[in-house]
Formats: sequence, C-alpha cells, structure tokens
Amino acid sequence: MGTPPGDRLETSEPARLRAFARSPGTLSLLILVAILAGWEAGGRTGVLDTFFFSTPSAISVKAWEMLIDGNLLFHTLRTGYAYVAGVVAAIAFGATVGLAMGWWRRFGDVVDPYVVFFSAMPRIALFPVIILIFGIGDLSRTIIVFLGVVFPVLFNAYIGAKQTPRLLIDVGRVFGYSHNRLFTAVVLPAALPYLIAGFRIGVTLGIIMIVVAEFLAASAGLGQQIAVTAQSYQIAEMWAWVLYTSCYALLIVRGMDYFERWTMRWA
Amino acid sequence: MEEPSLEVIGVTKSFPTAQGRLPVLDGIDMSQARGEVVSIVGASGSGKTTFLRLVAGLEEPDSGALKLDGREIDGPTPERSLIFQQFGLMPWLSVLENVLFGLATSGLPKDEQRDRANDVIGRVGLQGFEDFHPKALSGGMQQRVGIARALAVEPRLLLCDEPFASVDAMTRQTMQTDLLHIVTQQKVTVLLVTHDIEEALFLGDRVIVFSSRPARVIEEVEVAIPKPREHSVRVSTGFQEQRAMLWELLQATA
Ligand SMILES: Nc1ncnc2c1ncn2[C@@H]1O[C@H](COP(=O)(O)OP(=O)(O)OP(=O)(O)O)[C@@H](O)[C@H]1O
Ligand SMILES: [Mg+2]
Repeated sequence: MGTPPGDRLETSEPARLRAFARSPGTLSLLILVAILAGWEAGGRTGVLDTFFFSTPSAISVKAWEMLIDGNLLFHTLRTGYAYVAGVVAAIAFGATVGLAMGWWRRFGDVVDPYVVFFSAMPRIALFPVIILIFGIGDLSRTIIVFLGVVFPVLFNAYIGAKQTPRLLIDVGRVFGYSHNRLFTAVVLPAALPYLIAGFRIGVTLGIIMIVVAEFLAASAGLGQQIAVTAQSYQIAEMWAWVLYTSCYALLIVRGMDYFERWTMRWA
Repeated sequence: MEEPSLEVIGVTKSFPTAQGRLPVLDGIDMSQARGEVVSIVGASGSGKTTFLRLVAGLEEPDSGALKLDGREIDGPTPERSLIFQQFGLMPWLSVLENVLFGLATSGLPKDEQRDRANDVIGRVGLQGFEDFHPKALSGGMQQRVGIARALAVEPRLLLCDEPFASVDAMTRQTMQTDLLHIVTQQKVTVLLVTHDIEEALFLGDRVIVFSSRPARVIEEVEVAIPKPREHSVRVSTGFQEQRAMLWELLQATA
C-alpha cells in the first residue's frame, strides 16, 4: 500500500509551495517585481535618468495622492464617460448595420462603397475637423471614439452575417422560418464569434482613440492629464497617469475575455 | 395503390456552371402512397440531394411538377421536414433547444412544444442529453438530434438525405434499426435517398434506382421483406438476392 498518512502530511506542504512557486501567475508577478526593483535601483544609482523615468517609489507617492484627493476619479469619469458613450454607440450602430448589410444583400451592396471609403480613410485626419465643429467637449471625444470603434465592429458583423453556413439557413427554411426570423434565429447567433472579435478590436482601438483625442483637445481626462504633466515636466505624475491608463486598458481587455468566454460557452 | 401522397411528374433540373448548364435531373416521375417508405438509390453525384431539395421546396424545378396530397409544392415547410446528411444542428443550442427550433413555427403552445420535444428525444434514445450542446455529442448522437427535430413536427412527409452517411458502420446499423422502428410505429411517410443499397432495402417498402447524372428513374422494385423487420433480415436470402440485383443495376448505369 501507499505511504502512511504521517508521511503524506509532511510532504504535501512543500509540494504545494513548489506548485505555487511554479504557477505562471507567480512567475509573472516575480518578473513585475524584478522590473520595478531594477527601475528603482537604476533611478537611485543614476543609471536611469530620473528626469525622464522617475522612480517607482516617487510614482507610487503621486499615484496614491491622486487616488486620495479625487483627481483620479474626476479624470477617470471624464474619460470614461466619453469612452463608454462612444463605444456603446459604435457597437450598437456597427453591429446593426454590419449584420443588416450581410443579411439584406441589396442594402449591403448599396452601402458597401461608403463603408469601404470611410474605413480606408485615415480617421485621425478628421480629428481637427471634428474638434473645429464640436469644440473640445465630451461630444468631440465621443465622436472620435465612435469613429475608431465603429468600423472594425461593422466589418466583422458584415463578414459574420455573410459567412452564416448555407446549411443552417436551409435548416431554418425547412422548419418554416421567414427571412426576417432567420436573422434573429440563425444569422445573429452564427455571427456571434465574429461580432465579439469586432468588439475586441473596437474597445482596444477606442482606448487609443480617446487618449489621442485628449492629447489634442480636452479640458480634462486621463489623456489630457498625461499631456499636461508631460508638458510641465511633472514626470512622476505623468508616469502615474500613464500607468493608471494602462491598468484601465488591461481591465477592459480582461473584461472582454470574460465576456467572450461567457457568450461562447457552447463552443 | 391508394391515392398518392407525393406525386412527381416529369421534373427536370439543371444548374448553371462555367461550362454552361449542368443537367442534373432528367425527367423524374415517381409517386408515393401515404405511410409508404420509399428509398432512392443512386451513385454519388447522381442528383439525389438535388431531388430531395426540390421535394423539400428549397429549390424549384426547371420544368415538371411536384405535389404533396394534391397541392403543388411551393417553398419549404415543416410539413416536409428534412434530415440533413450533415446534421445541420445549431451549435449554440442544446439538444432540447435544437428540437424546439424545429417546433418554433408550429404555433403550438410552448408547453406542448416542450412535451413533444421531450417525448421525441426519448424515442430517439437521447434522454439525459437534453442540455448537451452538439459539440459534446458523437456524430451518431448528433444525427439522433437531427432525427428528433424532423420527427417532432410530425411531418406529412419525412425526407432523409443519406442520414447515416457520416456515422461509423456499427452505429449506422443500430440507427437504421431504430429509425425503422420509429417510422413503422408512427406510420410516417418517408422518402429517403442514399447510395447505400443495403440501407435502401432495409428501410424501404420500395426502392427506386436513379441513373448516374443526369438522373432518370431506371428501375423500381418492391422490397420483398415484410415489416416489422429486425436487424437479422439483412442476412436473409431474399434480402441478399435483391441487394445483388440492385448492385448490378447501379453498376450498369455507372
Ligand atoms: N447549386 C448548385 N450549383 C451547381 N451545381 C450543383 C448545385 N447543386 C448540385 N450541383 C451539382 O449537381 C450534381 C448532383 O449533386 P447532388 O448533390 O444532388 O448529388 P448527390 O447524388 O446527392 O451526391 P452525393 O451522393 O455525393 O451526396 C453534382 O455534380 C453537383 O456538383
Ligand atoms: Mg447528396
């Protein structure tokens, strides 16, 4: 028979520790600690120029202050508002138009040249125009986010609807589904993986768009704070804003992962 | 023969291709009585699926007429439900939901749809798998879902397009026996196409032989084996003789 119970107890603790030490999460965390330690050491010994790179400790102090005095919350809300409004509008519009183009072919053929034109256009070229027309408020930023997100969402929805397997459509027809009913019963779920791929590209592109928009024209917001602190050489603050913005981006991407897994649980 | 259920008169069908029109069906005539199981055998590519799609209403003939119970076939309806060679299950729906998918346009109350779906899932031997998604099922089980979906709507004519071509040989024989029991019990009128002579004989009351493309009816034979049939009839002399005869016919047309 196997080992006596006493033995098992003695070996299981170190075994668990070893497993913990070897888990990918632990290793990732260790690498992060090493980078921060190297950065801090580099700053203190003068290997890294603290004028540009500051130090993790100085940045942490600033980051903490922002958190406590409400600055972080204030600018997060300004950016978040425009971001969420732009992304939600773009996904609603892009998914609807894209799916409709794929399923109602005549509509698709008519709209297609416009979609190709606008998606090929470097949309950053439109930023100054948008800001000129709509000013430097939330509306401009929402529109800019919208323009960044809408095309990948729309294209993916369009392709997703077009690639709906012929077989599944025939199944629907045999069981008496009308063209319109097939859309919700077959085309929409069949296009779901494509839609989600579009959302994923869209939300990431949206983050880039809003930060760039805020560099150019904004009275508040995460991107605006990065620009302002950089221009006034508040390097620790600047890094704190950059890191906060990156953390939000990471949260959004992870959220997208969970959303994807949740919607595609049958796959 | 009593009044025919399905009537097919001089049906032709061709498809446009890069090299001009490809004739696929060349004047098909056939009819089928209510409650009868008719098998059509033909070589691969002879036009069997095309013919079944015409009966299903998924395609229109170039000329000729198709009638079910005296009414011209005009578009698909669950009255002529189809078991697809490639199953055609919705991967995002569970077994139960896939069967309910077929009942959704029936106009029946929801709880009646559910009762019917559960009943037919039981009859095809899938009880306990109601909440499984197709991915988690073997090919044979997936086709059981396809059969359940087609039976649940209680069609006037059940169409089967090589329903067991994509399952392994062992499973195929079991499923043929199961299907035969169900359709015999419920007196379902079945039109089945296949390239498998044994399947055609085992399931059919009558076998129609298609020529190779473009398809014409080259022979019709009554299957001389009484129903109900068990697996063992496959080795009977009568079965083997008809099988050899059909095989010769198909060879001659190839
Ligand atoms: N929509 C279509 N367009 C062009 N050609 C087609 C179309 N559908 C079928 N065909 C052609 O018609 C012929 C008959 O096809 P069909 O699928 O009916 O044969 P089948 O007897 O079912 O063959 P298999 O046993 O391989 O399933 C084939 O040569 C096929 O390429
Ligand atoms: Mg076929």
